[in-house]
Amino acid sequence: MADLTLFSFQAGTTVLHDLDIRVKTVLVCMLSMVLFTAGFSACLACFLVVYPFTCAMGMTLSRLIARLKGFILLLIFMAAARAVTVPGEPILSVSGIEITRQGLAQGTLVGVRFFLVMMIGMLFAATTRPAALKSAAQWFLKPVPFVPEKRVALMISLCLKFFPLILSRAGQTADAVNARCGSVRKNPVRQIRFLTFPLLKKTVISADHLCLAMDARCYTEHRTDPAFEHNGRERLFLGAGTGLCAAMAVLSLDAFWMIFW
Amino acid sequence: MSPTDSLRPMVYAALFVALICVGAFIAIPIGPVPIVLQNMFVLLAGLILGPTWGTACVAVYLLIGLAGLPVFAGGTSGIGKIFGPTGGYLLGYLPAVLVTGAVSKFLGKTLFRDILAMIAGSIMLYGVGVPWLKLAFSLSWGQALALGLVPFLLGDAVKIAGAVIMARKIRPLLKE
Repeated sequence: MADLTLFSFQAGTTVLHDLDIRVKTVLVCMLSMVLFTAGFSACLACFLVVYPFTCAMGMTLSRLIARLKGFILLLIFMAAARAVTVPGEPILSVSGIEITRQGLAQGTLVGVRFFLVMMIGMLFAATTRPAALKSAAQWFLKPVPFVPEKRVALMISLCLKFFPLILSRAGQTADAVNARCGSVRKNPVRQIRFLTFPLLKKTVISADHLCLAMDARCYTEHRTDPAFEHNGRERLFLGAGTGLCAAMAVLSLDAFWMIFW
Repeated sequence: MSPTDSLRPMVYAALFVALICVGAFIAIPIGPVPIVLQNMFVLLAGLILGPTWGTACVAVYLLIGLAGLPVFAGGTSGIGKIFGPTGGYLLGYLPAVLVTGAVSKFLGKTLFRDILAMIAGSIMLYGVGVPWLKLAFSLSWGQALALGLVPFLLGDAVKIAGAVIMARKIRPLLKE
């Protein structure tokens, strides 16, 4: 688990690094909404647009698959579950379990959609500093009544700091348990117990130390409002992103393909 | 009340948001709705943080996922996920944590009452998730229950047992 890097920011000089976080957030929201109903052609269009940006981050398809292998396995299981549960025309029957054409198509489509959502999410996380995300949350929530936007923004920022801390503590605890021959213990309940409780204890103590550190630095919620970085291409990206979403929505309409039939 | 006392619940809530995110990555796909550990941490947040901070914690978790960070089950994210078949389970976390926290706060923190609070929270979770799944897939009630409730009951019993033990271990560590 400690090797999971879905959240990690990667320093870089790509155009996405400099893009205004608010535009990036809007684009991610729009794409994830359109992907929810996207067909194969719309998914392909989305992949062709997003992939060059992941390549610019040094994440080619093979590296992306290697990095997301755990999640891809999950998607394959999910697609397989659909292939055997969705009723339709059977293409293969093993021990009474039927794999249907419709189920396979639906499962693959859902898997592809989820993979794209993951890819976009990873790209977003890799090109966005946690501090920028905090600022964006504060900016978006400011007009919402009864929502303490500064507190919410701080919670987001703290969560993003805690996430890698939990993973690294989990690695350390697992190493410590293994060093005491914990890995040879056969009872899985005891294995989980000896990993989980020390981990929770350590993370709670870390949270307490953080409270003291924040207090020692006289932390208050009344801080200077964040300044946003611009690279001057925000309108271009917003326009292109909206165009892509509109094109994907059209490609996903059955009526569009009826024109060509 | 010292400044640390006012900061502490917020920091603990942020810690639970991170734990829910980690729990979401441990997913076992058994159909349209995967088995995930995130609901155990959601209900645990209700037990430990209470109704107010528990609900705030889950709201922030949903907000992070909506913003695009891959924190939903299996590393997914986005508004599309909320409107998807499993969106009801995500939205159901809010009443679930609220009810768990409220039951725990008003009934007390004994072993039996903790279990009762978590069962009440689970009922709220499925009370939103199953009808949502039924509408999303146009299923009958029987099919919706077979896909969205029955496969998780045994796992939920184990999660409740685990969460109650964790709550009893964590509570003494937390400073009021």
